Amino acid sequence: MFGEVRAVDDLSVAIPEGAIGLVGPNGAGKTTFLRLLLGLVRPTTGTAKVLGHNIAEGVPVRERIGYMPEHDCLIPDMTGVGLVTYMGRVSGLDANTAISRAHDVLQFVGVEEERYRKIAEYSTGMKQKVKLAQAMVHDPQLYIFDEPTTGLDPRGRTEMLDLVRVIARSPGRNVVLSSHLLPDVETICKYIVILDGGHQIAAGELSQLLTGSADRLRIDVRGDREAFARRLLEAGMEADATPSGVHVARKPGVEAAIFQTAKALGVEVRYMGREIRSLEEFFLELVQRNEARGA
Amino acid sequence: MSAVAEAAGVSKWYGEVLGLNAFTASFGTGITGLVGPNGAGKSTLFKLLIGQLHANQGTLRLLGENPWNNVPMMRRLGYCPEHNQLYGWLSGQQFVEALLRLDGMPAAEASKAAGAALKVVGLSAAAHRPTRTYSRGMRQRAKLAQALAHDPEVLILDEPLSGADPMARVQILRTIADFAKDGGHVLMSTHVLYEIERITNNIVLIHNGKAIASGDIHAIRALIDEHPHAVRFETPQPRQLAQALARMDHVVSLEVPAEDTLVIRTRKPDAFYKELPGIVADTKLEVRGLESPDDSLEAVFRYLVG
Amino acid sequence: MPLLGRRHRLRAIIVTGLRREFKRPATLVATAVGVGLVLVSSIVIVLFLGAFLPGQTRDLSFFFVPASNGAILFFVTLMASVVGSALIADDLNSMALTLYLSRPITHADYLIAKAAILAPLISMIAMLPLVLTPFVAALLGLFAWTIALEAIGLSVLLGLLFTAFYTSVTLLLSSLTTRKSYAAAGVFAVTFGLTIPADILASSIGNSALLYVSPWEDYLALARAAFGASGNQLDWPWALAILLVATVVASLFTYLRMKAVEVVSG
Repeated sequence: MFGEVRAVDDLSVAIPEGAIGLVGPNGAGKTTFLRLLLGLVRPTTGTAKVLGHNIAEGVPVRERIGYMPEHDCLIPDMTGVGLVTYMGRVSGLDANTAISRAHDVLQFVGVEEERYRKIAEYSTGMKQKVKLAQAMVHDPQLYIFDEPTTGLDPRGRTEMLDLVRVIARSPGRNVVLSSHLLPDVETICKYIVILDGGHQIAAGELSQLLTGSADRLRIDVRGDREAFARRLLEAGMEADATPSGVHVARKPGVEAAIFQTAKALGVEVRYMGREIRSLEEFFLELVQRNEARGA
Repeated sequence: MSAVAEAAGVSKWYGEVLGLNAFTASFGTGITGLVGPNGAGKSTLFKLLIGQLHANQGTLRLLGENPWNNVPMMRRLGYCPEHNQLYGWLSGQQFVEALLRLDGMPAAEASKAAGAALKVVGLSAAAHRPTRTYSRGMRQRAKLAQALAHDPEVLILDEPLSGADPMARVQILRTIADFAKDGGHVLMSTHVLYEIERITNNIVLIHNGKAIASGDIHAIRALIDEHPHAVRFETPQPRQLAQALARMDHVVSLEVPAEDTLVIRTRKPDAFYKELPGIVADTKLEVRGLESPDDSLEAVFRYLVG
Repeated sequence: MPLLGRRHRLRAIIVTGLRREFKRPATLVATAVGVGLVLVSSIVIVLFLGAFLPGQTRDLSFFFVPASNGAILFFVTLMASVVGSALIADDLNSMALTLYLSRPITHADYLIAKAAILAPLISMIAMLPLVLTPFVAALLGLFAWTIALEAIGLSVLLGLLFTAFYTSVTLLLSSLTTRKSYAAAGVFAVTFGLTIPADILASSIGNSALLYVSPWEDYLALARAAFGASGNQLDWPWALAILLVATVVASLFTYLRMKAVEVVSG
């Protein structure tokens, strides 16, 4: 466990090591939660500990945290390496270590000669990388990423998510990824905390939360979907044609039946696989249920 | 039905800086996604389409007309710009109404139309709060409402989902899909590729001011010869399946990375998928799952743009 | 990774801040001209009075004159607005404040560091010339060393108070806006907007109590009392209280303002 928050806004959360996704609608308490983790607010009631330190202490907790904010926050008239070095020193690194680490992390995130230019001249992608670099320079144990792919084009998004993934997989490092882009969270995090209305409404390993039915298949059919489903029904299978594909129950012989039917009707099977719910579907369902209950 | 928008050799420069460079593409009906790296020319294209900029070269037609200085055309368009600054002190309702009245709509009608548009995007509850209290997702929806309120034929949306929370996202995508279903045309740009894939298969890929691909994602993918189409099979009989599939001469490689997996690569995915059910049915081989890991917009983007 | 303590973190902010300031031509010019002019004018005044008006008794009250040098007011205001107005306003504008506060420092640390960037620069105008003048005067034999040393001591105290007042007020103004030009205007407003109207009104209405409103007049009252010069219309204890309270309140407000800034936004 690296974090344990109890009864704040009636929020009780226990967070294991590794990569955690923090998800929730606006106003759910994500922001407050992050502020708590950073020791920037104190809980009105209850206690919270991060990495073994009570958050009321603020400073010792922040020594071990690297925060990558969502909004613009860089100093425009400093150079990339200048800013990262500076932030390293403000975190407590001595001058030589700071500059050495700054170059190392800038290399890691992919900022090459641009590091000597002023940040005001950087593209959005470069700026995001510098934001990540300043969060890493003091080698924290806990990283907090707040919407790390904002404003990035597809290539930039892939690069950034790859970097986050590498960090998340490093031993002894923990990552809290807060994002509205649930498929991103799905690919990086193993554990999810879902907040709504100041409460935690779900938490757990993704693989467990999202097991839809291991015993159902989703098939992507090119051709007459309805006819395909009908034929399968006739063959004694349970089949259901929906906009996202044809869903069938896994029974012995169902795969053979699928291909037989496809051959007979002349339709193509473009995808056949487990019907796993996506995090997005799970999340939306959960929030709606929560609203119905509370509101 | 002719294309909704047609660009032929359109170039736009800002001094030396490249906007569009001999851009040629046509956008079909329904929903089209505009995708490209930052600085590729998407904003330039939008501004040209809504008549704010004049091209240096080439012809541009929207709904058959030249959009430059074309005021009646603007009434048939709904535009959602990228920036998120609304008039903070106005409520959502006031904001949409004000813009409608600028359009020339009489006050009573504007009020009704604004209310209806806000309902469609799911902002009725918050319509009377000042927009500065709105979250990103709500702002995006407010912008969309203003674009829809005057019942346009074409929606031009620049990053309509950016920063929106999942619920707002779903609502926005649904609104766009419904609009298209009712006969409207939509051109939207986004960096999050799986969002486009969710509502349409039509894209225009723009890079360095040029259109480097346009049309159906899968058709484009199939045309990218240098990267033969990969298909992964989950099967307890990978080698037998490989043998059966190798008969097709457009299959260029077969790989068994694990005892229950077969990955094949084919030059002609359409032909492959056509013949596949027959082969599996005839050989009675057990296939538990199949997927094409790189038949996605993400892969198309990666292969064409890098 | 072993981390150094609070002193080093603050020092990093202060040193980097000063280094960045001195890369700006505006700061260099303001400092050079300010210190130079004030110093030269103070010394010239003292020499002039000391050497060429033999009727004057060469005692401590002499040194009130350089202390009341209007150039000090002008150049301190200039320095505060050129350097100080941007210190917090820029961090609010770029939201670099988020980066600072996500570091292992407190809000108070941040403010102390910012104050430590501005205060030395202001004191170079408010204190340094006043300290050097008696020194030079004594070197030239115009004054006894005992008097000079006393003058130096009093100048240090006066300079510190004046510096503290302007530092805290400037930082407060800088924390209230994202545009440093507004903060700079505010500094000028505090100086001239209070001083000049107070002077005019006080003389036209005849109510010298109005002079308490002007920080410069408060400072002068203190200086007069310290150096034993005559002509004080204000009670120096009140003047001292006003300046001290203003300084403390401004600092407090700045601290509260910084704590209220949202650095993690939803």
